[in-house]
Amino acid sequence: MTFIRILSGRTRFAYALLLPALALLGLVVAYPLYSGVLLSFEKADFFGSSLAQRGWTLDNFVRVLGSADFLPSLIRSFAYVLIVTAGALTIGLLTALLLNESFRGRPLARMLIALPWAIPLVVATNIWWWLLDPSYGLVNSTLTSLGVSQQPTQWLNDQIPAFIAVCIVTIWKAYPFFTIMLLAGLQGIPKDLYDAASVDGAGTYRRLRHITLPALRAVVPIAVLLNALWVFREFTVIWVLTGGGPVNATETLAIATYRAAFQDFHFTLAAALGVVTLAISLVGSVVAVRFATRDFY
Amino acid sequence: MTSISPSTRPRPRSVQPRRLLLYISVAVLCAILVFPIYWMLNTSLAPREQLYVFPPALLHPNPVLDSYRTVLADRPIAHWIFNSMLLVGATTLVALLTAISAAYSLSRFRARGATTIGYLILATRLLPTTLLVIPLFILMRSLGLIDNLLSLVLADSTVVIPFAIWMLKGYFDSIPRELEEAALVDGTGHLGALFRITVPLAAPGIVATMLYSAILTWDEYLFARTFLNQANNFTISLGLASFRGEYVTYWNDVMAASLIGTVPMIVLFVLLERFMVSGITGGAVK
Repeated sequence: MTFIRILSGRTRFAYALLLPALALLGLVVAYPLYSGVLLSFEKADFFGSSLAQRGWTLDNFVRVLGSADFLPSLIRSFAYVLIVTAGALTIGLLTALLLNESFRGRPLARMLIALPWAIPLVVATNIWWWLLDPSYGLVNSTLTSLGVSQQPTQWLNDQIPAFIAVCIVTIWKAYPFFTIMLLAGLQGIPKDLYDAASVDGAGTYRRLRHITLPALRAVVPIAVLLNALWVFREFTVIWVLTGGGPVNATETLAIATYRAAFQDFHFTLAAALGVVTLAISLVGSVVAVRFATRDFY
Repeated sequence: MTSISPSTRPRPRSVQPRRLLLYISVAVLCAILVFPIYWMLNTSLAPREQLYVFPPALLHPNPVLDSYRTVLADRPIAHWIFNSMLLVGATTLVALLTAISAAYSLSRFRARGATTIGYLILATRLLPTTLLVIPLFILMRSLGLIDNLLSLVLADSTVVIPFAIWMLKGYFDSIPRELEEAALVDGTGHLGALFRITVPLAAPGIVATMLYSAILTWDEYLFARTFLNQANNFTISLGLASFRGEYVTYWNDVMAASLIGTVPMIVLFVLLERFMVSGITGGAVK
């Protein structure tokens, strides 16, 4: 009897501890998600509370998926995720390998290398906006004095340079996450392994190839997935730097959704686009997790 | 080790160039990666006429603080910083209190449905913020919270709380529960055990979580842009983005304002960086 009372008391306590977080998340995540999904099936386009006519329809999805802008936005989103992840992973791996060596001043180096992580996104965007200024920016003046280019690159006004610019800023903000995750993975490798390999005559390259990289396999997939999900949703960098332009050149799905909602005020269309985006990241994550687990276990 | 095995004896001769190479690579990499931050500082100290000199000076010979005076006088930066600090304080407090108790519950009690709840909380990372912001905007309008910082405390919780719960759960998992059980045997309740034993032991994790939650909230732009209209109500992110799209851009002013808006985060980062490594990996790497 007492055992059951204690048990149920424990369970009640467990739920009571969860309750505040769940209540708040219910209000600001679950309820908005529910009404957002409903909105995407809503017939009338409404702004605020003035609902013209209620009714359910698939029209919003038909219009969104049938629009000529949808596929290019989707491709841009994927390209953005791919380029940023590849760039940030490369810099992250390089910096983590260096920081894993022991040398004087390592704590300072680690702090400096991780510093961009603490720079606010809008500030990072402002700095690069200035660095990439076509007339007086440092990037163009360096390119000209090195003789790489004769004409100044119109970084934010030409379509491909604008896309590259957006990727550069995002990579600069994203790589410290990889540095720290990979460094943690590297520091989990027992030193004995390296000593044993050295005794067996393995050089730097073979130790890297057969000990270090395999050990990182536990960390890399989760870091890539978390980063990819972040980049797929990323809004601030693109919005502040280019607003999705020039001529939609940097309009990802996230930007397209926001434009539809708060520039065109097509809330139902925007909701449908958002639901499609959610479905893509859901499917993408499931596939990624499957792929990762099949590959590594 | 070295003295035992003869095969490693020739090493010391080859060590010196390797170390030199290591120091050079670290220095070059640090310089490149941190350069944009230096450039912000350098430009903010430039006199206005120096901005349009080509090529730009890598170090201004006579730095001036004019741009700081200009932006502090012309823009409500003090308001923006104050708003952001209020927002960070309130959001972090709400997030930590709810997340500590939720994470403790998920870590210690295998209550029915707890695993599902845990994964649902993790799955919020899949939600596009650009989707959530639409119904949240409608919600905030109907609650009359437009142009009110409370709307951002609520909205930022969508990101911060799930994050905090998972980070803290990772921390609590790593603390042996025998310590709490000892306290329970001594007659302390579960709540007492949580606050007297677990929370103090998890202090580094809680500090790391605070750092994250502060940076996420200070950074937040999407909700702020959507829910705030009047310049005096802006957060620092929103204020710093407002330089974009103006007719004339004085880069030294933009960089001075940006630097002012960055300093609190750099201070926090430098003070708390040592907690960050365990924090970022605590929830993710096992």
